[in-house]
Amino acid sequence: MKPTSSDRRALAAFMAPAIAVMVIFFIIPILYVLVVSCLKWNGISAPQVVGLENFVKLLKNSTFQRSLKNNIIWALVAGFIQVPLAMVMAIILSRKPKGWKFFRTVYFFPQVISGIALATLWRAIYNAEHGMLNGLLSAIGLGSLTTDWLGNSGTAFPAVLIYWVFYVGYYMVIMMADITTIDTSYYEAATIDGATDFQQAIYITIPLIKKTSLLTCVTLASVMGLRQFEQVYMLTNGGPNHRTSTMVLYMYERLQSESYGLASATAVILIIVGVIFIITIRTLFNGRGETVKPKKARRAVK
Amino acid sequence: MKKVFALLLALVMVFTLAPIAQPAHADGEIVINFPSIWVGTDSKAAYMSELIEKFNEENAGSIKVVVEEQTDYQAYRDKIRTTVTTGNTPDICILDTTFDIKAYAESGKFMDLTPYLEEGWGEDFADGAFDAWSVDGKVSILPFEAAVFTPIYNKDIFEAAGWDHFPATYEEFFQMAEDVKAAGYNVMGQMAGENGWSSMLWYSLIVEAIGGKDVYADGLENPAFVEAAEVLKKMYDYTFDGAVSAGAADVNGHFIARDTAIYLNGPWWIANFYKEDNAVDGKLLADSVEVATNPVYEGGLGEGGLVTTVQGFLAAGKQDDPAKEAAVVKFLQYLTDPEHVSELALSSGAMFFVKYTPAEETRPISQKVTEVANNAAFTILHVNGAFPTAFSTEFPSALAALINGDVDAQGFVDQLQEAIDMA
Repeated sequence: MKPTSSDRRALAAFMAPAIAVMVIFFIIPILYVLVVSCLKWNGISAPQVVGLENFVKLLKNSTFQRSLKNNIIWALVAGFIQVPLAMVMAIILSRKPKGWKFFRTVYFFPQVISGIALATLWRAIYNAEHGMLNGLLSAIGLGSLTTDWLGNSGTAFPAVLIYWVFYVGYYMVIMMADITTIDTSYYEAATIDGATDFQQAIYITIPLIKKTSLLTCVTLASVMGLRQFEQVYMLTNGGPNHRTSTMVLYMYERLQSESYGLASATAVILIIVGVIFIITIRTLFNGRGETVKPKKARRAVK
Repeated sequence: MKKVFALLLALVMVFTLAPIAQPAHADGEIVINFPSIWVGTDSKAAYMSELIEKFNEENAGSIKVVVEEQTDYQAYRDKIRTTVTTGNTPDICILDTTFDIKAYAESGKFMDLTPYLEEGWGEDFADGAFDAWSVDGKVSILPFEAAVFTPIYNKDIFEAAGWDHFPATYEEFFQMAEDVKAAGYNVMGQMAGENGWSSMLWYSLIVEAIGGKDVYADGLENPAFVEAAEVLKKMYDYTFDGAVSAGAADVNGHFIARDTAIYLNGPWWIANFYKEDNAVDGKLLADSVEVATNPVYEGGLGEGGLVTTVQGFLAAGKQDDPAKEAAVVKFLQYLTDPEHVSELALSSGAMFFVKYTPAEETRPISQKVTEVANNAAFTILHVNGAFPTAFSTEFPSALAALINGDVDAQGFVDQLQEAIDMA
């Protein structure tokens, strides 16, 4: 049945607020950033049109290159280490072992604490003089390994990355919610067929959440990896010598230097990288993806 | 029904998206918006609060100054940059040398204060105070808070290391450093974390000692910058562990804890030497410290020089309403009144560009710092103040690269120059 003109008007009325919000808060700012990215502008004096010069400058700049590289590492670690860890936890806790509610709360708890507070806590742990990590190493006879974790060029980035990888609660809860919707008859059938818990996870659970919560979590985690700011800002402020810098932090530094054109060009590149990441992730998940039919799942565990 | 729905929708959008503007005149009262960093634990906070309260009382019903408190210095700078850039310049704000003051003065976004200064108000300020900051003879940014940077040392630690005086030369300085280190103390606090403030000040002192009065004339081309970087790197052998990632709290904490011999910061910090909280066994830190001068660098051009800066400028957003402009000027004049500034200096330990008769100084350390300032043969700005903002943004990163051995002294200077060129 074709929609009548009255239906179309109603449809337009319902969509108008969302479109208006989208245009005002998303499209116009992006267009503004695009325009400013082609300017040499300190935010005060008259802007000067420089075309693509800001992009050329950025791509040649070693600090920007390092920030981009760090962001890509961060997004990959988020998508392919942090989320799989969360998935493992979700699968284990979904089997409702003893004390699963307690562990679910414990793993989710860091999510309700602000990133700034966590970063402050870890800054204290990594402190070269009084930090818990160096104290622990000294106590167990590994004093030779103590270092200025956040000030050493070789350890700063891993130190910033490692602590954050283990905060998996957010993705774990999303995947747990999805796993609970899987028909239990699949597991019952698999159990009758002699499948172990591990086989059930590999051949039933993962295929059934792959295109839903797993895809969502990998996308979210990667995008959040690309947006990293507060942890890095609080822990190292991008130091030492930009070793832990990210694109958002780099953009912030350009704003502090009153280089609005460069900051906007960084934002444009960040958007492009984000889009590439999302398309790649979706292609990876959809390319070889086929909806797992219950029959196939049963066959697989035989 | 649909029309009613559409109308409701439109009303909701209008009310949720419309900006909520604060009227300049509420019941005939002019409201002056003043985002301030002189709040919280800032040394000027207590007297500033008192002063503003008094002003509001005296002008009740006609002018009201509303302070927007921001205790984080970087967040405050970000806020001011954003508001000015987006055309929402506050009625009054505080700037420092991390802003491109010339560009701000030329922008036309700030009130031209020249006519008011020419009416006599300008005589309250130190001679030549506006010279470096005026544009085409017009003054829109007022230098207000001054700062001088001279080392302060702990006599007890020096004594424990066998020293009864502060080194007169940098050669002697490093001999002293060896002795202090051997006695089990840190010589000075350095930091490449946050904005690298303490190390930036030390670098400024060394640059001044080597390059002298005209060291900034050729930008970073002057060889003094490379030589000073080598000296600064050497100083990191005499600071506490973890200085590359350390911040101001670490530097301050070590000096207060009496495990570090030398401290370098602006005069606003002097009040902390007199705080009971920082006393050990009833002995104030002030009783252990002495004011020194920048050592002479062998072959350098900077003997007798002093590193200084404008720590705070006052600026007022341009006004369309003459009544509000008059109110803003009235408040600025009240704030910079020599009598009030005298009290502010006494309560905070800070120094100002306003000419005032010092109230009875109860802090000998402040007096000695003032003496050092008065006896200076010449002054230069600290490096952050002398170069564009990109320099100060890059400084901690270039410093960490230098200390970690990623670059040599020349590479350190090149990295700073590259950052300036990039912006």
